[in-house]
Amino acid sequence: MITGTALWYASRATGVVSLVLFSLVAILGIMVNRQGRLPGLPRFAVTGLHRSLSLLTVAFLGIHITTAIADGYVHIPWISTIAPFTSGYERFWIGLGTVAVDLVGAVIVTSLLRDRLAPAVWRAVHWLSYLSYPVAVVHSLGASKDLRSGWLLAFTMGTVFAVFAAIGYRVNGALAAVPRPHRVSRQLVQADKTGSLR
Amino acid sequence: MTASIRDTATGRATADATRLPRLLPAPGQPMELPAHLKVHGPTPYRGGPRLLIHTIESAGLTGRGGAAFPTHRKLTAVADQKGVPVVVGNGAEGEPASDKDKMLLWSSPHLVLDGLQLAAEAVGARRVHLYVHRHPELLQRLRSALAERATAGLDRIAVGVVTAPHRFLAGEESALSSRVEDGAALPRITPPRIFERGVHGAPTLVQNVETLAHMALISRYGPAWFRAVGTEQEPGTMLTTVRLANGSGGVSETAIGTPIAELLSLAEHPARAVLVGGYHGAWLTPEQAGHLTLSNADLRPFGAAVGAGVLVALPTDRCGIIESARVVRYLALESAGQCGPCLNGLPRIAATFSQLANRQFARPALDDLQRWSTLVERRGACHHPDGTVRFLRSALSVFSDEVELHAAGRCSAGNTAPFLPIPTATPSYEEDWS
Repeated sequence: MITGTALWYASRATGVVSLVLFSLVAILGIMVNRQGRLPGLPRFAVTGLHRSLSLLTVAFLGIHITTAIADGYVHIPWISTIAPFTSGYERFWIGLGTVAVDLVGAVIVTSLLRDRLAPAVWRAVHWLSYLSYPVAVVHSLGASKDLRSGWLLAFTMGTVFAVFAAIGYRVNGALAAVPRPHRVSRQLVQADKTGSLR
Repeated sequence: MTASIRDTATGRATADATRLPRLLPAPGQPMELPAHLKVHGPTPYRGGPRLLIHTIESAGLTGRGGAAFPTHRKLTAVADQKGVPVVVGNGAEGEPASDKDKMLLWSSPHLVLDGLQLAAEAVGARRVHLYVHRHPELLQRLRSALAERATAGLDRIAVGVVTAPHRFLAGEESALSSRVEDGAALPRITPPRIFERGVHGAPTLVQNVETLAHMALISRYGPAWFRAVGTEQEPGTMLTTVRLANGSGGVSETAIGTPIAELLSLAEHPARAVLVGGYHGAWLTPEQAGHLTLSNADLRPFGAAVGAGVLVALPTDRCGIIESARVVRYLALESAGQCGPCLNGLPRIAATFSQLANRQFARPALDDLQRWSTLVERRGACHHPDGTVRFLRSALSVFSDEVELHAAGRCSAGNTAPFLPIPTATPSYEEDWS
């Protein structure tokens, strides 16, 4: 059962890594908008990193799922990769993982087809990420004891907190944005003060 | 009164080709439907798409909204597109110095509405809109004119009236398209051009209301009649909004190619400079204005254009820099605030130009103005920065002596009261765009 144990550990480890990567992807995605910047990074680098890390996350997620099913220690049927709540083992918590994967799948497929889709469709589906992320977090906390205590718990909570902080930053930025009709007059008032006297 | 007699032998309408005005009835006597029908007869439908386009091409009609684009090419471009086109009559002149579209809609609404139907027939459109400013009285008048036409069975396609906000850019084609879709009247990035994909993605023909009125007359009286006045290259008449140096003026219909000196009575009322084409137009020196005619062939070499027919003579006791600085400030505030160069550049330019006008000014600021002008040019979704910079550059060049005076802390103005009309309201609500 050495192989089995290795797979089991691999699944748990890649699960944790996937969650951390998912948090990073979410943070980058949240920060990317017309005005948003990350210190020291040009805008295209933020989008580029968001996409590259998404790919890496999918890779880890793939290993996480494959190893969990291939492992013989607990029985999870292949159908559970797409159909939620079909696993005998931890039916509810594994089911949440499947839900998260399905949502992420929709986001990935629409992103790959982005050139052929109406921007509004891509955007609407991309919003599912905000649903998928908390479901993935709850799956992680429920399905595995690894994350329920010690430094892994603290670390996971830290990344989750960072995601919420990014959302707060973005919402706050949107609320503080100058409405368009005021933008130009505000600029003119500012220009009158400084002028070009030199 | 547009002279017209009905040839009793042939029953065809004829009109004295050289008699002006053609579009406008006698002052103070708007042309109501019975009079319109008596003078011009019913809407001269051609019976199918494209049939009118060749007539318009022979007439050499160009767009009277400002760009002077050949009307037949626009009609053909829209008719060639896949999909059922939409036609919009554009009566939302945002130019504060122009009143001609309002005047035309008020006094000859049925020529415009005839033209709208004919344009719709020519491109095979099934939806027709009329886009006008929110003047309650004018809207009321147009709605009752449309109701009368419906009763008389003149309109084959019902015309929807869409109101435009009182903004300089409201009449810009992509802003118009967005407003007709019930959105905000904000310019959009092109391509796709409006004739390809405009209102709800349909190929859209946008014609100035004066162009439509000319179409209504050309389809009745023919290209030769239209060409009887004007120049060979630029035939016909155009509506102008004229303001003389003594402050008098108004809308009048002018043959293209009429000397500017005559239109502005420059001999009687000398001017310090002449503004041609409105606030996206250009200043001319009195010497230039004195030997040029109202035609693009004459004006283009001087960086000017007839535009929508605005002509203003600046009185000799006014300062061109003070007047121009007010206009540039107004234009900066009329930016939609969408594109960086316009949002950041125009206020900077306007503030610095104001300092020049107020004589609180250091010479390097002149270089700044030139540099910033280059930076904003051709970098907006619409032509607002380009038009603003054109106006600024012509002011700096035509009033170069005045610039020197201001740099020395002086000003030649005997009267600093505003001469050029500028709306006072500045935008403060999002609704100001819809």
